[in-house]
Amino acid sequence: MNKADWVKVAMTRFEGRLLRYTSRFVSDDQAREIVQEAFLRLWQQDPKDVDSFLAEWLFRVCRNQAVDIQRKEKRLNRVDGHEELENVKSESRNADSEIESREQNSSLLKFVGDLPLPQQEVLRLKFQEDLSYKQISAITGHSVSHVGVLIHTAVSSLRRKLEVKL
Amino acid sequence: MSVNLNDPKLTAYALGELDGLELREMEELVNKSEEARKYVQEVRQTAEMLQSELKSEPQLSLDDARRAKVIGRADRSSWSLWLKPAIGFAVAAVAMFVVVLPRVQQKVSDEAEGLTAPISMSAPEASKTDPEANKTSPETNKSANETDPAATQVPAQVQGDKIAARAAPVKTLADQTPAAAADAAAYSGGGEISESMAEAEMAAPMEAQPLAAHSARKEKVGKGGSGTTPYGSSGFAGVGRGRIGGMEAKKSLAPGSPGLYKPTPADESDKNFNTDSFSHIQESDFLRVSDQPLSTFSIDVDTASYSILRRFLNAGTLPPPDAVRIEELVNYFPYDYAAPTDGKPFSVRVDQAIAPWNKSHSIVRVGLKGKDIDLRKKPKSNLVFLIDVSGSMNEEDKLPLLKTSLRQLIDKLDDNDRVAMVVYAGSSGLVLPSTSNKTEILAALEKLESGGSTNGGEGIELAYKTAAANFIEGGTNRVILATDGDFNVGTTSEGDLVRMIEEKAKSKIFLSVLGFGSGNLKDSTMEKLANKGNGNYAYIDTAQEAKKALVENLGGTLITIAKDVKIQVEFNPKFVAGYRLIGYENRTLAKEDFNNDAKDAGEIGAGHTVTALYEIIPAGGDLPTPRVDALKYQQPKKFEKATPEAEVNDSKELLTVKLRYKEPTGDKSTLIEVPVTAQRELRPAKGDLAFASSVAMFGMLLRDSNYKAEATLDKVQAFAKEGTTGKFRNDPYRKEFLELVKKAKDLKGK
Repeated sequence: MNKADWVKVAMTRFEGRLLRYTSRFVSDDQAREIVQEAFLRLWQQDPKDVDSFLAEWLFRVCRNQAVDIQRKEKRLNRVDGHEELENVKSESRNADSEIESREQNSSLLKFVGDLPLPQQEVLRLKFQEDLSYKQISAITGHSVSHVGVLIHTAVSSLRRKLEVKL
Repeated sequence: MSVNLNDPKLTAYALGELDGLELREMEELVNKSEEARKYVQEVRQTAEMLQSELKSEPQLSLDDARRAKVIGRADRSSWSLWLKPAIGFAVAAVAMFVVVLPRVQQKVSDEAEGLTAPISMSAPEASKTDPEANKTSPETNKSANETDPAATQVPAQVQGDKIAARAAPVKTLADQTPAAAADAAAYSGGGEISESMAEAEMAAPMEAQPLAAHSARKEKVGKGGSGTTPYGSSGFAGVGRGRIGGMEAKKSLAPGSPGLYKPTPADESDKNFNTDSFSHIQESDFLRVSDQPLSTFSIDVDTASYSILRRFLNAGTLPPPDAVRIEELVNYFPYDYAAPTDGKPFSVRVDQAIAPWNKSHSIVRVGLKGKDIDLRKKPKSNLVFLIDVSGSMNEEDKLPLLKTSLRQLIDKLDDNDRVAMVVYAGSSGLVLPSTSNKTEILAALEKLESGGSTNGGEGIELAYKTAAANFIEGGTNRVILATDGDFNVGTTSEGDLVRMIEEKAKSKIFLSVLGFGSGNLKDSTMEKLANKGNGNYAYIDTAQEAKKALVENLGGTLITIAKDVKIQVEFNPKFVAGYRLIGYENRTLAKEDFNNDAKDAGEIGAGHTVTALYEIIPAGGDLPTPRVDALKYQQPKKFEKATPEAEVNDSKELLTVKLRYKEPTGDKSTLIEVPVTAQRELRPAKGDLAFASSVAMFGMLLRDSNYKAEATLDKVQAFAKEGTTGKFRNDPYRKEFLELVKKAKDLKGK
């Protein structure tokens, strides 16, 4: 298979998933920019090197860029001062996102939306993208055991909320 | 023993994330502690809910300009043929290319990652903390290459870890993974690739048909066993975010992909592309009671057609007429039939009303209800899961959904039940010898991975052999086949398979067929197998459907209460001029078959309801079927046009329903007769019957039946609403039906 096909296949498999993931950090349009960028970068890779880690590679590249953008924006907005800005998506962007509007429809999704952002992120990677703890670790930079703790905490608090609701 | 349930490791265990020592540790805990088992089960339930909810979140897609930039194609017009933003349509975004690469998929690469764990675990951290993370690459690269052979046999490794070690004559999946060949082919372009490219080209113009495109999602993306750290080059955010990358990409692309993804005119190639296969159904016509007073058929409790139809409609396209088996649509829904009280395995109920689609006709509903069996007192079961792990199963809606489904079923089993697991792909193997240890069963299930092509025949042989070896006298002995039905390797023509199953069915081992996935669904094969194998066929498209098919209908799935159930209806010409059995086209029997105990027919499970509908032309009415000339050498038959004057019988009966059935392990049939009195005046269908006829009407419209008469989707809606009352007021299945009708209306409106 030549590289063009390889990239195309990767796009087929991951385009939607990466956008869904990335648009949680930044605006939809920025997410598109980032995902495009990730695929452009994929062109520079040797399939042999990357293919067995393709999912982690792509998600990680997108994540890094998204976090980078967040940092830059924070600097511009002069709301600096907090060191850990990761995962924060500003309210104004939430409103017009195509994804967020759905959350009202499901109480479970609403509960997910109430979780701390790092928990939401790993939860989505695990249950939405079917990635393993190890892969999630590779993408987020959390250790595998920390991923485990985040998921455990998230699942536990969701179960509690669901029980209360029932 | 006190158990710490607040242990992330237990959650990890529930999610199948542990291996090695930790896995054994947690297994031990779960074995010992009821509390821990309950916790694990709850976590899995939550996980399932999360999965289904989160996966329904829409995916965005790239705009054409950005996509074109990546692909480096200036020619936008060719792209617009197949690249179209699919916002809100999760499947479409992944579906647009169809490239069948030599093998395996993300799942396997996930595992590969597991094998080369040190890399993936250390690399990201390294790259985060160490700006020179790239330096670690050569080394990790080397080690990855060294483990390459192992990585390409991932399934074997994974299985080998625990399960294969336990199973005596294990033929693991390793044999099936054409490792070297696949690697060689992976990036050099093997024969399979050009074929897949052809597919991709065909897929191109399909964006107009989301389902077809979705079906086409047969991505078996190639995986190289080798790999450097993937992070070296991505490194840290913002470093070399690149224009350069973009330009290079363009440069290398321009000459790079000659002729691939050529736009193909939207001709019938797209029709050919979807390889779902549905047998042609020839609709039953009206029969003249004077010619053929007897209508004979085998019951059918399959429901697959409804899930398939739902899948099509949810994907925004009408199902092909041959995918619509009306009896399966009608039987998808439970109805309010009284349970048998007289010690018989099932009750029979007949009612009638004016046909909603034709006021001069009536409908007669024959309803059977199998006796309910208290699941706590259910007989011991000996189940053999026969699981298709061929490459084609490697899609989200197949193997992962299959695991979810079977997990739900396993959760319902108790210590009296035994489960064995046989997988088949290029070759087949017993991955779990029969055991009643749930933890072992679940672990084996979690470890299934797909890869290879399908040799269903061998697998079936082995599964039945395993079931026979663990046969429980007086219990439930059943093979549960989970597949997309694509049997394509070995000697297994469909005919051979069917014969084989037919042979096996004589061994008193029953069969359940669970169909998964789309695009390559061999619906016809699976229906036939279930039919011949004393079994039922359900199509699983969602975790909810799995729950319905496997948990809510657990009794029906596991406990057969009567087999070879045949129905024969005799119509009284005094009241009936003609009749038409709605659906059941492939279940009709010759009238002589009814009393022939050697003739196989359908099974009914505990709690199952079976519904058959007849459309009846009352005496005096005209049949749409043309009249044949009167016979020259024989007396014309009596009751040609049945009127009271021509009457010789003074029966007040409209018809008699006769049933024959055998006890699950019996060979001799028992007869039940239910006479039905003619009603003076018929009323419009109400309640339950309104709903059943609404579903039938829906099927007739989707099949474009010759007899749909005044049927409309509006009527379908009205009658379905009428039927969604009383105890079914909040029935989720009936509500979902209303949704589907609405979707069909929207689609037809376009």
